[in-house]
Amino acid sequence: MATVEEKAGSGGRRVSEEVLKGFFREMLLIRRFEEKVEERFRAGELPGFLHVAIGQEAAATGVCAALERDDVIASTHRAHAHAIAKGTPVERIMAELYGKVEGCSRGYGGSMHLYDVAVGNLGANAVVAGGIPGIVGAALAFQMRGEPRVAVAFFGDGATNTGTFHESLNLAQLWKVPAVFSLENNGWAESTPARQQLPLPVDELAKRALAYGMKTIEADGQDVEAVYLAALAAREHAVAGKGPVLVHLRTHRLTGHYVGDPQVYRDKDELRRERETKDPIELLRARLELSESELETIDAAATAEVTAAVEFAKAGTDPPPEDALKYVYA
Amino acid sequence: MPEVTYREAVRDALTHALRTDERVFLMGEDIGEMGGSMGVTQGLLDEFGPKRIRNTPISEMAIVGTGIGSAMQGMRPVVEIMYEDFLTLSMEQLVNQAAKHRTMSGGQVSVPLTIRTQGGAGWSPGAQHAQQLEAWFVHVPGLKVVFASTPADVRGLLWASIQDENPVLFFEHRTLYPIKGEVPDELEPIPLGRARIHREGEDVTVVATGRLVHEALEAAEAAEQEGISVEVVDPRTLQPLDEETILESVRKTTRCVTAHEAVTRGGFGAELAAVVQHGAFDWLDAPIERVGAKFGPLPFAPALEQWVVPHAADVLDAVRRTVARA
Amino acid sequence: MAVEVKLPRLGQGMEAGTIVRWLKSEGENVVKGDPLYELDTDKVTQEVEAEADGVLLKIVVSDGEVDVGTTVGVIGAEGEEVSLEPPEPQPAEPSEPKETPAEEAARPAAEGERKEPAEPSDRSSQGRAVEREPSAPHGAPAGAEARGRVKASPLARRIARERGIELASLRGTGPDGRIVAEDVERGAAPSRPGPAEAPAVGEVEVVELNSIRRTIARRLTEAWEAPVFQLTVTADASELVATREQTLALVAEGDVKPTVNDVLTRVVAAALVQHRAVNAHFVEGQIRRHSAAHVGIAVATPNGLVVPVIRDADRKTVREIASARADLVSRAREGKLQLQDLEDGTFTISNLGMYGIEQFVAVLNPPQVAILAVGAIADRSLVVDGELEVAPTMTMTLTCDHRAIDGSEGAEFLRTVKAFVEAPALAL
Repeated sequence: MATVEEKAGSGGRRVSEEVLKGFFREMLLIRRFEEKVEERFRAGELPGFLHVAIGQEAAATGVCAALERDDVIASTHRAHAHAIAKGTPVERIMAELYGKVEGCSRGYGGSMHLYDVAVGNLGANAVVAGGIPGIVGAALAFQMRGEPRVAVAFFGDGATNTGTFHESLNLAQLWKVPAVFSLENNGWAESTPARQQLPLPVDELAKRALAYGMKTIEADGQDVEAVYLAALAAREHAVAGKGPVLVHLRTHRLTGHYVGDPQVYRDKDELRRERETKDPIELLRARLELSESELETIDAAATAEVTAAVEFAKAGTDPPPEDALKYVYA
Repeated sequence: MPEVTYREAVRDALTHALRTDERVFLMGEDIGEMGGSMGVTQGLLDEFGPKRIRNTPISEMAIVGTGIGSAMQGMRPVVEIMYEDFLTLSMEQLVNQAAKHRTMSGGQVSVPLTIRTQGGAGWSPGAQHAQQLEAWFVHVPGLKVVFASTPADVRGLLWASIQDENPVLFFEHRTLYPIKGEVPDELEPIPLGRARIHREGEDVTVVATGRLVHEALEAAEAAEQEGISVEVVDPRTLQPLDEETILESVRKTTRCVTAHEAVTRGGFGAELAAVVQHGAFDWLDAPIERVGAKFGPLPFAPALEQWVVPHAADVLDAVRRTVARA
Repeated sequence: MAVEVKLPRLGQGMEAGTIVRWLKSEGENVVKGDPLYELDTDKVTQEVEAEADGVLLKIVVSDGEVDVGTTVGVIGAEGEEVSLEPPEPQPAEPSEPKETPAEEAARPAAEGERKEPAEPSDRSSQGRAVEREPSAPHGAPAGAEARGRVKASPLARRIARERGIELASLRGTGPDGRIVAEDVERGAAPSRPGPAEAPAVGEVEVVELNSIRRTIARRLTEAWEAPVFQLTVTADASELVATREQTLALVAEGDVKPTVNDVLTRVVAAALVQHRAVNAHFVEGQIRRHSAAHVGIAVATPNGLVVPVIRDADRKTVREIASARADLVSRAREGKLQLQDLEDGTFTISNLGMYGIEQFVAVLNPPQVAILAVGAIADRSLVVDGELEVAPTMTMTLTCDHRAIDGSEGAEFLRTVKAFVEAPALAL
């Protein structure tokens, strides 16, 4: 877990440069992973379909950095970044994408169902908002047993339109369970823009939690430090028994909804502008004033790790077909 | 052996589970002070407190989802969905989440969650408070489905369900709560997947569930007067299904009637018929007959309702058809 | 617009009939009223007439037994496309309504023309609609062969396979003539070799039951369940014979000559209207007493026993009775009786006198509550006023259904019959 220079006070909190460099390495690893995945998918090596988190690396990295290993998360269909950030080795995620026994879900889950219970990843969910009530339940279990743990649900702006989201927030706040609702608001529900799915300004989505009397924390989802601090504060609030928190992270999806999405619905110029101005990795690199050689070293390490992951995955074991029903019942 | 009502038997199993396993807790609408809309949880709040007897908002999706999450974190939640009609509101969590976590995770997690619910006609509740939807869940791999018809069964099966590592849909029948029956002194779990032969017979096997077990027994008595000897089998667990007991019975009698209160089309009887025709094909001496409700939403007026749902007379007619001669 | 030819209900209680043969071929022109096919019902073989003009587009059921209401053919315009829904399965017990009129009314009128697969219907909840073969012919005798396929339960097939029995050689007693295990067991029994095998008795002629024989078997078996008692009386038939001879004298050349039995029919009819307890039906737990005497007379035909009915026998003259009887008997022997010839009998007379039988007991003809068995008229010794005399006498035995008739009622009726036989003038 990363450390903070100052734990006390709110405004004065700063994150050390070393920690930020660590975030940078992780975000770049995610980026290189996602790029490799796009490449391998286009090469026809990966079955199924994929959603990458290019542009949203800071949100995953910052939130997971604020968590303890015992804390748990539930992810979404855009799951790779959360899985990496929560601590699953990239080769095991890559192996899962290749459908291998060595995969983090043993080849049974795939890109949208990455699980790694050992590091607290309770699974990625392909039904929008599907993982949110489970997180309320996990948090309830911690509360009932008096364990100082939190449970975090990742979801997007689209999920806030579901009944599941509202029922879950209502119940979580009612019972004051130690849950954190991490809203990655990228302004798109697949191809549907905010103006077609939200009756309130896209930046004001946190108001929905206010309706339940829930604490909310706002942060720039492209600023990993801000995300991290917000998540840290949220965790402290929740674990102290003060109730759940909704962390609103305004972020930007710099790719299509899925790999191969032609994004006919999206303004090309605006997307270009977003890529130039909202890339969290570029923003952090500029802030850290990394030298070219430093950058090259970090990038080379990330690229090598991802390349090795592909080799690991390709060399992995295909699950025997007759094992297909092995885990239907315990 | 003590005699208790079906309702008391359910409560007894819950009490036993709450006393002996601290991981067990209850969630549901109106299960606290009110004691549940069917009175099943009466008195439990007093003994176990609000932390373990949790009254919930009317949020079926969240209730079931919360049950799933806590079960995955090592608790043994027992969720009550007031009427099985309301299961529809929690379908996403039941079907996509509870049933699939274990497979999707490659066996890393399990969901030891029990969902108790009840339904059934016979008291004019209209179309949205008396459905029999158990067959839907038999169609979802990863779920277990139990439908108990007697006090002894409901007690032993509920205790087994709570101990089971898998999500269990536990169906109770509204009109059975007041019926009385003997239960063993000691509460022993009844293993899921084991049928019960209520009555032995030679000519026709009636495989019945829920209320229709009692209707089938009544029909069997009447058939006996006509010289037709009827065996009545209650699978008790619809998933997993004790195919062998059912097949053995049909191989003996050579005729089979399935009976449930749910509508016939696509009902559990269809699955039973498929199992029986395949496993006992060369033993069948008559087409398998199915008894179930007529294909319509349950109407309100008592005369209409009673016309739609099946009774002992319908089972008897079906039994007669299997032994009929031209 | 094509019209479906449906098997008509040709009489009360008719549930099915057996199509013997079609009298028109597919493609042939048909005029309303043309004989279309020959139908063998429980009671009679008759020609069924076309109910529409047009071309016989299709013969759906060429032969075999079908339920009333089943579409057996289609008449329409030349070249018209014919598309038929599979016939609705027939309820097993038609006495129980399976659908309410309200439901019937609620159905769209056009449903009969729709081609969609069967909707989930209430019948499916009875376990019928979806689980039965939609083929129309059923109950076909001799191997239950319908459209070339022997209907047999899986169990029956297995037993037949194991024992090397040809299913086609068996007769099915299950629904729709399906061969069930019991049929195979029964069929298998004699052919099984074993130490206890009976010595060969020569060739056995196997007679399959035709529908008349089956009906006789079924109805008389039913009748056997009734608690009956018999009363026997012997009457002096001198006057009966004399009366017949008097009427003979009045018969014109070419007219039917009355028989003694015609006179007997007339006097029995007169007794029946005086004793309505005997002139009754026992149906569905009710006794229905009739005011008119429709007297059935048992007639042996090559196909079996039939009982045509002489209507209003109490109001007919002996000559009228003779004429009606002669017509019925000749048509019965030719197999040309119509259903109405066989319906509504309130009482039956069975006379085996022509075979020299002195007296016998007849089995009830349900739903009638009594039947009179009449023996041969012959000269016998008779004690009259203490003197031994020789006179023609006849012995009559009345079988009564005790559910409807008490001994005294039967006895009173029989006493009246005896009185009328000995003095027919009292009855005429």
